[in-house]
Amino acid sequence: MRERFKTLAWIGAVLVAFTLYPWIFPTKLNLGVVIVLFAGMATAWDILGGWAGQLSLGHAALVGIGGYTLALLSLRAGIPPWWGLLAGMALTSVVAAMWGWIVFRLRGPYFVLSTIAVAEILRLVAINWKNLTGGAEGLFLRELPRPFGLDLFDRTVEFYLGLAFLGIALLVVWWLSWSRFGYSLQAIREDQDSAMAMGINPTSTKILAFALSAALTAAGGSLYAIYLSFFEPHIVLDIGLSVELALIAYIGGAGTVFGPTIGAVVLLGAADLFRNYFQQANLLIYGILIILVVRFAPEGIVGGWHVLLRRLTRPAPVVPVEVRGERP
Amino acid sequence: MTTFLQVFMTGILTGGVYALVGIGLSLIFGVMRIVNFAHGEFVALGMYTSLLLFQSMGIDPYLALPLIIVGGILLGALVERVFIAPIIAAPEHVSILMTVGVGLVISNLLLFGFGAHPQSIFTWYSTKTVRVGGVTFSGPLSVSFLITLAVILGLYWVLTRTEIGRAMRATAQNRDAAELQGINTAVARMLAFGIGVALAAVSGTLLLPVLYVIPTIGGVFTLKAFVVTVLGGMGNVLGAIGGGLILGVTESLGAAYISSGYRDAFGLIAFLAVLLLRPAGLFGKSRV
Repeated sequence: MRERFKTLAWIGAVLVAFTLYPWIFPTKLNLGVVIVLFAGMATAWDILGGWAGQLSLGHAALVGIGGYTLALLSLRAGIPPWWGLLAGMALTSVVAAMWGWIVFRLRGPYFVLSTIAVAEILRLVAINWKNLTGGAEGLFLRELPRPFGLDLFDRTVEFYLGLAFLGIALLVVWWLSWSRFGYSLQAIREDQDSAMAMGINPTSTKILAFALSAALTAAGGSLYAIYLSFFEPHIVLDIGLSVELALIAYIGGAGTVFGPTIGAVVLLGAADLFRNYFQQANLLIYGILIILVVRFAPEGIVGGWHVLLRRLTRPAPVVPVEVRGERP
Repeated sequence: MTTFLQVFMTGILTGGVYALVGIGLSLIFGVMRIVNFAHGEFVALGMYTSLLLFQSMGIDPYLALPLIIVGGILLGALVERVFIAPIIAAPEHVSILMTVGVGLVISNLLLFGFGAHPQSIFTWYSTKTVRVGGVTFSGPLSVSFLITLAVILGLYWVLTRTEIGRAMRATAQNRDAAELQGINTAVARMLAFGIGVALAAVSGTLLLPVLYVIPTIGGVFTLKAFVVTVLGGMGNVLGAIGGGLILGVTESLGAAYISSGYRDAFGLIAFLAVLLLRPAGLFGKSRV
C-alpha cells in the first residue's frame, strides 16, 4: 500500500520535473516533444511487451493507424483532431483485439514474427491504397482548428499535450503495478501454464492488454502526426519505429513503471547529442545498448540501478559453501 | 502461356536465392533454437564485402565466393561465441533482442562506412540473358540458381556425411543426449551459426549483380527468410528449399497477375496463414 503511493508520488515528481523542460531547454523543444511522445508510446508498448511479456515488433502499425485516423478525418471530413484522436484510439483497440484474437494462439518466436508480418502488410496497404492514404507521397496536415485558442502546431503546446499523454500512460502502468489485472499479466509472463491453473484466462487477458496498449499507442501516434504535420508510411508504419519503441522500453527496463521513460530520455538524448557525429547511423547506439543490456543487465537501466543500490547499501552476499561443491 | 511460363520461371530463379537465405536461418533455428533477427544484415554484409572487393580490386563476385564462404563461417562463429553463446539458455525474447541488436549494429556500421545512397556494380554479364524456347532467363540469376544448387548439395553432404554434420544434427535433435554421446554441442552451435551466416552472405554476393544495394536492405531479407522458414517448417532445412521456391513463385505470379505494389504482401499473407493453420510448416515435422 505504502509502496503504491510512493510510486504515485514519484510519477508526480517526474511530471513536474518535465514541465520545467521548456524553460531549461527552450531551443530543444523538438527533442522534448519527441521524448515525451516516445516515452509515452514505449510505456504503452511495455503494457504488452514488458508487463505481459509478449514481445511485439509491430507497434508501428498502431502508431500509424492512430496518426492516419486523425489526419484523414481532419483532411477529408474536417473533423477536429480531438475527435480524431479518440476515433483512432477506438479503432486501434478494435484492430488490436481482432489481431490479438488471431495471433495469441501463437507463442514465443511465432508471436513476434506474426506481429512483424501484420504490421508490414498494413504498411504495404498504406503505400498502395493511394486514394485513401495518399500513398508513399504521404499526407500534409496544413491547418488544424485551435481549441481554446491554442495553436496545435506550436511546439510548447505540443510538448504539454505530449506530457499529458505520458502522464496518462504512467498512471495506467501504475495501476498495473498493483491491480489484479496487472498481476494476471505478470503471472502470464512468468509462466502461462501456471497462470491458467490459477484460473487466469491467458488469451482474453492478453487481448485486453493488447487493446489497452494499442489505444495508448494510437493516442501517441495521433499527437506524433500533429508534431510531424507531414508524414508518410515510411515514417509512421516502418518496422524501424516498432523496433525503436521496443528497444526504448527494454533498455530502460521492461515491465517497470519508469523504465520506458528513462529509456526514452537516455536514448533520444544520446541520439541528439551524437547527431552530428553519427548522422543517419543514430540507431547504432540502440544496437550497442541493447546488446549490453541483454548481456549484462537483463532488467534494463532501472534493474541495473536497483542492483547497484543493493550492492552499495547492503554487505556482499555470503556465497553458500555447498555451491562450491565442498562441505566444511 | 509463354508469359505465364516466363513469370513462373523468374519466380523459381528468385526463389532459389530466397531458399539459400532461408536455409541458413532454418539451420540456425534447428540447431540452436534461436531465431536470428540479424540474418538479413549478413546478406547485406555479403553484398557490401563483394562490392568492396569488386570496386577496389576488381574481383568478380563469383570468384569472391570462396572467400565469402570462409569469411562468413569465421565471422558467424565469432558472433555466436561472443554474443549468443552467453545467453543461449535464456528465455527466447533475450536471443531475439540480442540478434536485433547485432543486426542494428551491422546495418548502422554499413551506413557509416558506405553512406545511404544506393550502389550497384556493373559486370559484363549483368544484363545478359539466356533464351530457352520462348522463355528468357536472366543470366546472373541463372548462374546464381546453379551455384545455389551446388551450395545446397555441398551443405547436404556436410550434414549427412561428415562427423561435424552429424554432430550438428544430433544437437538439433536432442542437445542433452548429444552431449552424453560426447558431442561438443558448443562447437556444433558455433559452426551452425557460422554456416548459416556464410549461406546468407553467399546469397548477398549472388544477388549483387542484379540488385541495387543500400545499407538497410538487410531488413527485407530477414523478413523473406522468416517467410521461407515458416513455410518450410522452422528448423527444417530441406523444407526451406520448398519454402523459398514457393515464395519466389508466389511473389512473381502475384506481382504479374494481381498487383505489383503488393509483391511483398503475398509472401507475408502466406506466412500468416501457415503460422496459424500449420505452424509446423507445409512439409511436416522433419528437422535439419
